[in-house]
Amino acid sequence: MLFRSLLIQGAWNYGTMLGPGFAFTLLPVLRRVHAEDPAALASSIERHAEHFNAHPYLASVALGAVARMESDGADNETVRRFKTALRGPLGGLGDTLVWATWLPLVAVGALVLYWFGVPGWVATLTFVVVYNVGHLGLRAWGLRLGLEAGRDVGTRLTEADLGGWARRLQHLLVLGLGVLSGTILGAPDGLGSFGPVVAGLAVVGFVAGLVGGHRAWRPAAAVMVVVIALIGAWGILS
Amino acid sequence: MPVVLYRVDERLIHGQVVVGWGHELRPDRYIVVDDAIAESEWEQELYALGAPQGEVGFVSVADARDRLDAWATEAARTVLLTRDIASMRSLLDGRSAGVAVNLGGVHAGSDRTHALEYLYLTERDRMDLRELERQGAVVTARNLPDAQQVPLDTILAP
Repeated sequence: MLFRSLLIQGAWNYGTMLGPGFAFTLLPVLRRVHAEDPAALASSIERHAEHFNAHPYLASVALGAVARMESDGADNETVRRFKTALRGPLGGLGDTLVWATWLPLVAVGALVLYWFGVPGWVATLTFVVVYNVGHLGLRAWGLRLGLEAGRDVGTRLTEADLGGWARRLQHLLVLGLGVLSGTILGAPDGLGSFGPVVAGLAVVGFVAGLVGGHRAWRPAAAVMVVVIALIGAWGILS
Repeated sequence: MPVVLYRVDERLIHGQVVVGWGHELRPDRYIVVDDAIAESEWEQELYALGAPQGEVGFVSVADARDRLDAWATEAARTVLLTRDIASMRSLLDGRSAGVAVNLGGVHAGSDRTHALEYLYLTERDRMDLRELERQGAVVTARNLPDAQQVPLDTILAP
């Protein structure tokens, strides 16, 4: 199922979204559950190919839980309501955790490596490997959680506190952005001799944004832009 | 007007609502109005996952009708969500005057036909929407706050 789940977006479309991929991933389970009854198998495949949407990685939580429910003989209506209820939270958590946190975090990490003088191909390779360790790890973890908990996966997801993990990783991301800006500005072909000062300012700016949250974020960003613009202007004039 | 949004959205509490509308409207709580979910604890647990911050409530249509006036006068800013048009119609029946109803997403189904990219409607849905409008509600479709607001006449145009 884990390998099949890699293809969950293979038949993505606006109408049914992840539906066909969901049915495809679940196929081995459905074949086993309905081994004696081809008609029931056909209708269950059709049901699971209907509209479903979630984050492609975290969909594995739903896949695992539905596999468990189908194996335990849950009725169709319960499975349908389960999928309907779970897709929104999985989509939201996945977007926050992966697209808005993990992907930019690893990208920024790779850029920092590059600006610290690591060869480009090593930085790129590091990005691909680290990103996918997290990606595949998340899929495997989700599948297992779903298989273990079945219909009651909600409690386990609340306990897992993915939102909390996203926040912690976002703190790292902000720190990484600070380091990256500082490194770029301080590099010899960046803004040269102002390096340490600018790097410090950048870090202060980002940390202020981090600590103050949304209220401090915009002023801090504005101050940073003004300071960098002034320094840039000074550099051009002198 | 502390009910800051009346929205029909099949996905109920999810990204577009919590992030998109949440940032715009800063609600203190999300109330899901749905007869089936109001009686199903495991479903409530799943839907509540969508709003890690802020209060979430699940009530039946009848209970919601009893509490509409209280929500309207409380200081807390409330977002009311139903997952289908029929529930919104029952919720607002006879008290639609001046209410802005937001259609946010009902996706394809066997008896539904295309109205907008994120909105598929049954004949019954179309009649319910007309009726809400006749009673004085302002019905528009808009999936996100910065998306274009589509008036009901455009939605129902053949």
